[in-house]
Amino acid sequence: MAKAMSRRSDAQSIPVSFTLNGRLQEIDVEPHELLLDVVREKFGLTGVKRSCDVQVCGACTLLVDGRPVSACTTLAFEVRGRSVLTIEGLADGDKLHPLQQAFIEHGGFQCGFCTPGMILASKALLDENPNPTEDELKHFMHGNLCRCTGYKKIIESIMAAAKKMRSKT
Amino acid sequence: MLKRFRLEEPESIAEVSELLGRFGDSSKVYAGGTELLLAMKEGLVDYERLINVKKLKGLNEVNAANGTIKIGALCTHHQLECSTALKEKLPSLVKLEQNVANVRVRQAGTIGGNLCFAEPHADPGTLLIALGATLVAEKSSAKREIAAADFFVDAYETSLAADEVLTEIRIPAPTANSHSAYLKFGYLERPSVGVAIAFEQSDKSLRNVRIAVGCAGPAPRRVEEAEALLEGKSTAEAQRNLAQAGAIAGRASEAISDLHGSQDYKEHIVGVLLKRAFQSAIS
Amino acid sequence: MQFQKEVEILAPREKVWKFIWDVDRFIACVPGCKEAKTLEDGKKYSAIIVEKVGPFKVEFPTTIEVLEREELSHIKAQASGADNKIGSRMKIDLDVNLREQDNKTVVSFIAGVDILGKLAALGHGIIKRKADQVLDEFAQAVKKKLEGEA
Repeated sequence: MAKAMSRRSDAQSIPVSFTLNGRLQEIDVEPHELLLDVVREKFGLTGVKRSCDVQVCGACTLLVDGRPVSACTTLAFEVRGRSVLTIEGLADGDKLHPLQQAFIEHGGFQCGFCTPGMILASKALLDENPNPTEDELKHFMHGNLCRCTGYKKIIESIMAAAKKMRSKT
Repeated sequence: MLKRFRLEEPESIAEVSELLGRFGDSSKVYAGGTELLLAMKEGLVDYERLINVKKLKGLNEVNAANGTIKIGALCTHHQLECSTALKEKLPSLVKLEQNVANVRVRQAGTIGGNLCFAEPHADPGTLLIALGATLVAEKSSAKREIAAADFFVDAYETSLAADEVLTEIRIPAPTANSHSAYLKFGYLERPSVGVAIAFEQSDKSLRNVRIAVGCAGPAPRRVEEAEALLEGKSTAEAQRNLAQAGAIAGRASEAISDLHGSQDYKEHIVGVLLKRAFQSAIS
Repeated sequence: MQFQKEVEILAPREKVWKFIWDVDRFIACVPGCKEAKTLEDGKKYSAIIVEKVGPFKVEFPTTIEVLEREELSHIKAQASGADNKIGSRMKIDLDVNLREQDNKTVVSFIAGVDILGKLAALGHGIIKRKADQVLDEFAQAVKKKLEGEA
């Protein structure tokens, strides 16, 4: 959509220099462009989803400087000077991140629509708290909704990944 | 897709004031954007200019060193829930901040933005009223303090002037005998009822009791009439008066029947939360 | 949403009735109402209604149609408008009754207000409160205008 928009000559252009999945990117955005649209349309990274569009469901979760944000309600220029992580940037080449592996092994997804957001949010949780109690996990993940799984498998996946990640360090 | 707007990034309060004065209704202060951008996406509001205030210095700190607790308006909810100073001095506020919306909203949303947008279904205002907080409003060369109880005029309406910026929240230093608690209730994304209580508890009695209700009506309100039933009373007597205080607070909440519940229901919940908040604060 | 209002005016019935049909002055009593025009005398009128709840502003270009009229006692009217900027529609069914009581005129009206579209996102409760406020202010303004000229 951002590509299809014609740039008016009087449009305000903001240079945004940021790292996206570890790589430096330098783009120009207009003030009103949303991070969600820039990531999906400009960079073709469609793991992040537009779902509720009101910051409630978490399907648009991205990590900015390691912290979860709602890409649907974040203006793109706000990531200048920051690092952005999408689900596409989580695996190390062919090697899946322990969270991704755990979600597969423990059935943490069905349709998969909420999954990129779930995994990124749980990464932020475990980076902050490598050994969360189930209550702490639920509190952190409160804003990520899933209509398929009933959450039990998601919790199991995250706890399993957490255990694995702790044993590695 | 948002409509196009021009971004201004002033570096001083004076500049912000000047822009607000010059462009009036067609401009708006923008911080975390967690409420503003939603309204803009819905098409409910339309601005030619957004004034990004995040470049203003010194407005995102918590200072609890000398008595009065000072919270910069640009502090995010996340900053506040993690603040060691607040954890020590105002655990009730930390608990409130931990439970605002969800982790993503807490990451971007600021306490100043929350207070200024004055969404009826919001948490901080209610507790700040009970804590006797004052809000500092600044413009160009003038500064004034507004009591939290006087800040919330109506739904989405505060007593800030059009060219004023909220810069700081000040909370009187809690003493060793200060107790406070905030409880909320709701099943929807935003809280449906919120009740806050604060008091000084000595051996004999409760002093400086402050009660506030929010979320149920258009704006959070202090309920002096309910406070009077607990002020100066022993804990036991105060306890006996809680039901009546709760009923008074319920009516004072100006509860509106809507998707969150009927007026009766909300008034009832106010009473329930007041009882529980009291127990929570006492212990 | 239904509202019922009653206002006592210290003025004779004929004066109140005449005032109602003096479109410019009457519609000027509606808070936020501007540019009142007569499209068809006694039958159709237009106005722009502007209301604000905090930062949310609506501007409804409105058409008012008189459906029933009983000299000196009763008016039934319907007002409808749409704010295309905000994507909202408004419809008001108005039933106005005049009666004499001692040396006063009692104007009672029942208003059925429907707001459709995006504005409803503000919440039924907030809108109801606002509509109630507007109707109260309107009734008081009519009263003031009529009594002030006595």
